Amino acid sequence: MSDHAATPDRIQFENVSKFYGEVLGVNKVTLSIPPGVTTLVGPNGSGKTTLMNLMTGLVQPSSGTISVLGLFPGNATEFFRAVGYCTQFDSFPRGLSGWQFVFDSLMLHGMDKMDAFRLTVEALDRVQLGDAAGRPIASYSKGMRQKIRLAQAIAHHPRVLILDEPLNGLDPMARAESLTLFEELGRQGMHLVISSHILDEVDRISDRVVLITGGYLIAEGNIQQVRQEVRDKPMQVLIRCDHPELLASRMFSINHCVEARLHADGQGVFLRTGDIDQFYSMLNGIAAEGLIKINAVAPADDDANAIYQYLIGSDGSAS
Amino acid sequence: MSVYKHDYRPYTGKVTPRWMRIYVLSRYGAAEAWSSKITVGLFVLSLLPLVIFLIGIYLANNPLARALILKGSSGTMDINAGYFLKMLEFQSWLALILTAWIAPRLISFDLADNALPILLSHPVSRFGYVLGKFLALFMFLSVVTWVPCLLLFGYQAYSSPLPWFAAHFSIAVGLFTGAVLWITVLCILGLALSSWVKWRVVATGAIFAAVFVPAGVGAIMSAILRTRWGFLLNLPMMMSVLWQRMLGAQSIFAEKYALPTPAILTMLLASCICFAAMLNARIRAREVVRG
Repeated sequence: MSDHAATPDRIQFENVSKFYGEVLGVNKVTLSIPPGVTTLVGPNGSGKTTLMNLMTGLVQPSSGTISVLGLFPGNATEFFRAVGYCTQFDSFPRGLSGWQFVFDSLMLHGMDKMDAFRLTVEALDRVQLGDAAGRPIASYSKGMRQKIRLAQAIAHHPRVLILDEPLNGLDPMARAESLTLFEELGRQGMHLVISSHILDEVDRISDRVVLITGGYLIAEGNIQQVRQEVRDKPMQVLIRCDHPELLASRMFSINHCVEARLHADGQGVFLRTGDIDQFYSMLNGIAAEGLIKINAVAPADDDANAIYQYLIGSDGSAS
Repeated sequence: MSVYKHDYRPYTGKVTPRWMRIYVLSRYGAAEAWSSKITVGLFVLSLLPLVIFLIGIYLANNPLARALILKGSSGTMDINAGYFLKMLEFQSWLALILTAWIAPRLISFDLADNALPILLSHPVSRFGYVLGKFLALFMFLSVVTWVPCLLLFGYQAYSSPLPWFAAHFSIAVGLFTGAVLWITVLCILGLALSSWVKWRVVATGAIFAAVFVPAGVGAIMSAILRTRWGFLLNLPMMMSVLWQRMLGAQSIFAEKYALPTPAILTMLLASCICFAAMLNARIRAREVVRG
């Protein structure tokens, strides 16, 4: 792999393709992931896990170059010191307790026993699994197994954390705790790459999304930016005001406003517009008139779920 | 959400040398192997013949004890290359049984449990993973082959007059080299076949089959084609010939069946390369084709 793709603070994919024989994994992916939380979104079989395996060096690209914070998988010690990977599969080396799993993982990372002990305690505390650490993993519930995998992935203080479906099997409480942890790690400057089907929840913590389907990158970037790029789908805006019907009739007179729907509580209106800039300009004008008191304006469909629906669709084929 | 604080600190402490990580995997493997009571039972069983050989050496070097225990026996017991050859053969076939039991536990379980992606997302290469498992099995087999054989050789050297050791030192070299060669082949064979069969019991059967089925085929080939080269598929026979030559013992095979040493070594090397290729093809971190 050449060094020209290396960037010290980003995960870089340059024209990366991966084929498994004749089966396409991902095709010509060029991607640059900065620190923060990045969510991989795509239907089953879209290439998310392939992208993650490529990032972690578990599979080699058929063509193109990948670097993670300027490191290449060939330099295994430095590379895996920087990367933590939590696979989606509920699988563990047989016969280990939660403690042994995390402790031995740290020993494999090259920590001495003292450091491994300290970091194991820290990681288990962080995922709140300290009490069950001595029990065999085989006796854990699905949520506990998910947590112990997460503990193993974060225990060695990686700078890049790659989490494949980390919320699967977690109850709402544990999901909320995990999301808080991810958010905290992202804010601290860690690179978090998460794939998840629970879009509503990851949407809350994501700095950016990468949409992928059929091995092809569909879109990437900040969720709002991506939404604005989808120009063929009118944007939906929720406006909280004292006269929603009047506002709807005024806005509907604009020819790029294509849909209006009153909010269930009667205190707002959802409006769809094909030209968001002109829409906001008109809204400013109406607000300035003073006839309608506008309390709040918020985009209603610039979340990961909406982008997924618009760009990939419910059948998983990119539109 | 925006990134506003870059206060995350990666681990910057010292790291252990690379071989320590392979040692961790070996420890994993050894712990897994010893966790079965059957392993313990087989291990104890494989040490029993050594007790008999130990008694043999003791009696050979103590005429009084021999007279007391083997009443009426007037013959002398000679501890020579043939004696140690028998010992090595016994232990080597017991090592095959142990390999068939232990090797699948080292690799098949990891494959069946899909644990390879987790293990290989550490600073451990595929080669390092296999080497760790290899060392776990190699150490285990060493404890029942060359280590006790050399200990008994040492006991014989201690019990007999000094010239015996000097005159028979080549036996010790032969014991060590022959056993190490055999257990190396066994380890690679066991790990390779275990990596292709997820079910442990089937893997155990496959290891026995890989040793004895080609031997049968080779014997048939030799009989039909009237050639000795068919015995190149007969691993037990090849190893027996090799051990006998290494220890300088009397040949038990007719000369027309004896294969040249370079041919045997080439065949063993070719087999090991095939088994290594099998491991290379199978030990992969990839968990699914797409996802």
